[in-house]
Amino acid sequence: MANIVLEGVTKVYGQDILAVDNIDLDIREGEFMVLLGPSGCGKSTTLRMIAGLEEVTEGNLKINGEVVNDVDPADRDLAVVFQNYALYPHMTVERNLAFGLKLRKTPREVIDRRIRDTTAMLGIDDLLDRRPSELSGGQQQRVALGRALVRDPEAFLLDEPLSNLDAKLRAAMRTELIKIHRMLGKTVVHVTHDQVEAMTMGERICIMREGRIIQVGPPLEVYRHPADSFVAGFLASPPMNLLKARLAGHLGVDEVGLSAVNLPIPRHRQAPLRRHAGSEVVVGIRPEEVHTEEPADGSHHRVDVTVVAVEVLGPEVILVADLGDGQEISVRQGSTFQAVAGARIPLYIDLEQLHFFEADSGLAILHGGASGPVRPDLGSYLKEGAPGSEAAL
Amino acid sequence: MSVATAGGLTLAGRDRRFGLLLTAPGLLALILVITFPLFFTLFTSVHDYTLLTPNYDTFVGLENYQEALDEEYLPDSLWVTTKFVLASVVIEFIIGFAVALSLHATRRFQSIYYLILLAPLLINPVVVGLLWRMLLHSELGIVNYAIGLVGISPVSWLGDADVAFWTVVLTDIWHQVSFMAILLVAGLAALPREPYEAARMDGASTISCFIHITLPLMRPVIAVAILLRLIFAIKTFDIVFIMTKGGPGTATDLISYYIYRAAFFGLDIGRASAMAAGLLVIILALTVYLYRYMNSLK
Repeated sequence: MANIVLEGVTKVYGQDILAVDNIDLDIREGEFMVLLGPSGCGKSTTLRMIAGLEEVTEGNLKINGEVVNDVDPADRDLAVVFQNYALYPHMTVERNLAFGLKLRKTPREVIDRRIRDTTAMLGIDDLLDRRPSELSGGQQQRVALGRALVRDPEAFLLDEPLSNLDAKLRAAMRTELIKIHRMLGKTVVHVTHDQVEAMTMGERICIMREGRIIQVGPPLEVYRHPADSFVAGFLASPPMNLLKARLAGHLGVDEVGLSAVNLPIPRHRQAPLRRHAGSEVVVGIRPEEVHTEEPADGSHHRVDVTVVAVEVLGPEVILVADLGDGQEISVRQGSTFQAVAGARIPLYIDLEQLHFFEADSGLAILHGGASGPVRPDLGSYLKEGAPGSEAAL
Repeated sequence: MSVATAGGLTLAGRDRRFGLLLTAPGLLALILVITFPLFFTLFTSVHDYTLLTPNYDTFVGLENYQEALDEEYLPDSLWVTTKFVLASVVIEFIIGFAVALSLHATRRFQSIYYLILLAPLLINPVVVGLLWRMLLHSELGIVNYAIGLVGISPVSWLGDADVAFWTVVLTDIWHQVSFMAILLVAGLAALPREPYEAARMDGASTISCFIHITLPLMRPVIAVAILLRLIFAIKTFDIVFIMTKGGPGTATDLISYYIYRAAFFGLDIGRASAMAAGLLVIILALTVYLYRYMNSLK
């Protein structure tokens, strides 16, 4: 098991292409850490620096307390599972699995035993004599995983290993990877752009954007308390609705105006917003916090909208509606919900669940639900916003 | 479903006829310059046809072939050709692969290196022969002058039987090595990057990467490059014709030059044609093998 620490790690390609910008991350022993972000955010580069396939331009990379910036990849005792599997095309499955062990001068009987155990665990013991070209994508994926497992390394680095699989296989492999991690207890760093993978697999998620870490935390915490509007808009499907708005009213924070509609802000939620009175903000509403029928408790506000589309997903329906100002809102509904495009229907928005973000920086001001104001420990980068005016519009 | 038209031809049929019409001039030219000489050679190879008494009437069957096989100096020429082909192709492969590996690893000035490398290949073989004959001239050549400056006595590059063979081999290598290098560097560029990264994680050194990954993955490209060069090397004629005329003695008497001498010095076209047909069979066999091999890669 390995504890992997990145201290101010930066990667610059060529003269001035900044791929990873001064990141700090502590991956605990035995942890399943997911690096999540859109393409080009630096997550793969970070993984490759940990692996030793890319040099660290600045900062320190420590494994179990030792700086390994200049340690050869082979001597870091880590195993990588690559996105395209990177199997040796001319070798049989057995030779693919044995190659690394042979190079390390492992005794033949140990190699045989490890291959037997690993292939049995992954259910690929009948493929040993085949070449990669004779395997399906799913089988190649298992062999790639097997090649990492058979080495029994300190930690596993997975670079989007599931992205080339079809949806069904991907779901199955997700479960399998979680099981393997639980069984072996080794540190895993898993890179993905798929938020479902991140939410379901990670013990902690590290969300990256433009070479920086935006937020690190357990999946539910990140989901409930997104550090900024980018994280809020990246997690879950459909993601949180992010609507342009302006704080207004008496003392400037009684209600939030979405140009076509005004949503009142419950009194007990107003305090954290005072600094931003009268300013532009982004209001976040999760699709599941909006209802088409009035719920029993009284914290919901009615808004009349026009139906744009109804996407039937089977177990649920996603209603897309126009708030009247061109801004659209997605609403998660049960499978029995029906509506025709163009119809006017009422929506009931849970005012307790509204999230507020600064319009320019995207930083969270107030989270929805019982959590209340932003907790300062959520993202090291979270900073105090500029003092806002108290003036009402 | 095809639809018949007024002319009684289907749409596809008309397409074919139009295609044939377009290719006809090219086909005709090919028939005139390739197919006709080919069949004429096969025809003369079974007739008693000498330039002294041109006569198509005497059909002699395989007599010319028999005579060619019985010739005293044919085995000698075949042996020289074999040595020449093996020496030039093997050395070209080794140098070509080394150059390809270095070029592949080079990032800066790559296009300049390519240009330098390709230059000899762009020169006509006759010019290559003339160029080296002058450079290697025993009295007037710059090579002997240069080695004289460091105290080495002049070498008779083309006059000494042992030296002349290697002079021709090295000239051919100078001319053709870039062909091998370019093919191999293209092969290297097309190799996937991932297995190398996997191997680095597995702990493979540069040498074990080369042995366990590069060589096996390059096998198809290597095979094609070597086969192509084999086919070309067997037919080598121009350099020998310009530089040594097969000599001194029979030291550089490659089979193609041997056949040429039989035809235009011995004036025995029938026998020369029989030998040319034999050479054609050998090259054809290699070509068929190459074709099959390339098909098997698909």
